[in-house]
Amino acid sequence: MTTPTLYNYDLDENCYKVRLLLSHLGIEAETIAVDVMPGKEHLSPPILAMSPKGALPILKHGNLVLTEVEAILVWLARTYDPDKKLLPEDPDTLGRVMMWLSFSARTLDVAVAARATALMDMPGDIEALRRKSYDAFRIMDDHLTIQQFRGEAFLAGGTLTVADIALFPSFALSRDFNIDHDEFPALRRWANTLRLIDGFITMPGIPDYH
Amino acid sequence: MNFEGWYPLLLVADVGPKKAVGTRVQGKEFVLWRDSHGSTHVWEDRCPHRGMKMSLGFVRGDHIACLYHGWEYDRGGQCQYIPAHPDLDVPQTIKIPRYPVIEAGSIVWACFQEPDSELPPFLELPSPSCGFKSIFADCPASRVAELIEKTPFNGVAPKVTAKSDRVLEIVLEGGTLTAAVQDVCEGHMAMHMSFDRFKASADQIPYSIWADQLRRDLETAARDIKTSEFAA
Repeated sequence: MTTPTLYNYDLDENCYKVRLLLSHLGIEAETIAVDVMPGKEHLSPPILAMSPKGALPILKHGNLVLTEVEAILVWLARTYDPDKKLLPEDPDTLGRVMMWLSFSARTLDVAVAARATALMDMPGDIEALRRKSYDAFRIMDDHLTIQQFRGEAFLAGGTLTVADIALFPSFALSRDFNIDHDEFPALRRWANTLRLIDGFITMPGIPDYH
Repeated sequence: MNFEGWYPLLLVADVGPKKAVGTRVQGKEFVLWRDSHGSTHVWEDRCPHRGMKMSLGFVRGDHIACLYHGWEYDRGGQCQYIPAHPDLDVPQTIKIPRYPVIEAGSIVWACFQEPDSELPPFLELPSPSCGFKSIFADCPASRVAELIEKTPFNGVAPKVTAKSDRVLEIVLEGGTLTAAVQDVCEGHMAMHMSFDRFKASADQIPYSIWADQLRRDLETAARDIKTSEFAA
């Protein structure tokens, strides 16, 4: 099987999610660096032809072009994880995985925006974004507390799925937009567990300790 | 700043070996970290070098290192190593203030009045106990005790008894909680809860759902109090 191509920007947490999953799966992808800051290359015609919003990551494999990180994670899991652990087949677990992927895209997107506003001068109401991010982290922390009482260490069950990969970076990077980890004990524990998965990699702002 | 007695900071289970976490009491910042021997330390949360929070640092063995320039401090708070000057005999004056710590009732407590004082006084907490959950809410610590009864568990109002100005007993159907209230900063509090006896994990889930609702109710009530005080 040919390897996929990832259009990547190192400081983008959505790109990191894909790099992390590739590393966990042991897949060598061709990576093309996109100079977002300061080059604004993500708004160049060749990138916009693939990703009209100018959003990264983009994954190319033969004629397939995927944008939207949740879709890329799902495709990678289905393609390269023969045991189907990362995207389980049983309907209940799959439903929970999709629920948290939707949460990542619809609710936790405020954390991506908060970080872009704080670090990359994206226009936005940083206080409102921070408050909403804090509320989203609370929902995750409450859920993971209950998961712990169930004896399950991950979002969708007892084992790692793409949902964990999708939600991990925004919490790990929350100090970039001034939300500390102090008030989220279950998220701290979960993040520490994720740092121990096979093939864990770091990014600026996500070291391998804590 | 007037600190008296022992302050609850977090559940024992919520700081793992070789981990650091930040906390605040009446707005003052502290770092809480556990060394490789399992001992817990509570210090001022500030590196004397550039004022960076030590809670963002990392624990290596029995040292905690600042994230910024890697200055390493031993269990006594004494700086032992400065990476930029590896051969330097670090002056004894580079030291972080530290405070007495005890673990009681599944909760970590610290005393900020007399750093490095003698043995702590005995705390009247159930032992053994079973650490449950901490909640953090935008609600003044002083108002919590009176508000808890307004969040029913299984349709019944909790029975709340103040054991001290920062320890509450909360009787719920099928379980009694000890809640240690932490005045984090103005208008914000933490409540560290443990059961007074062992409770199986799966049986704690309904109480966890209640605690989440309690936090929502506390914040709603605190907003209402604020609005009415403003109107008055």
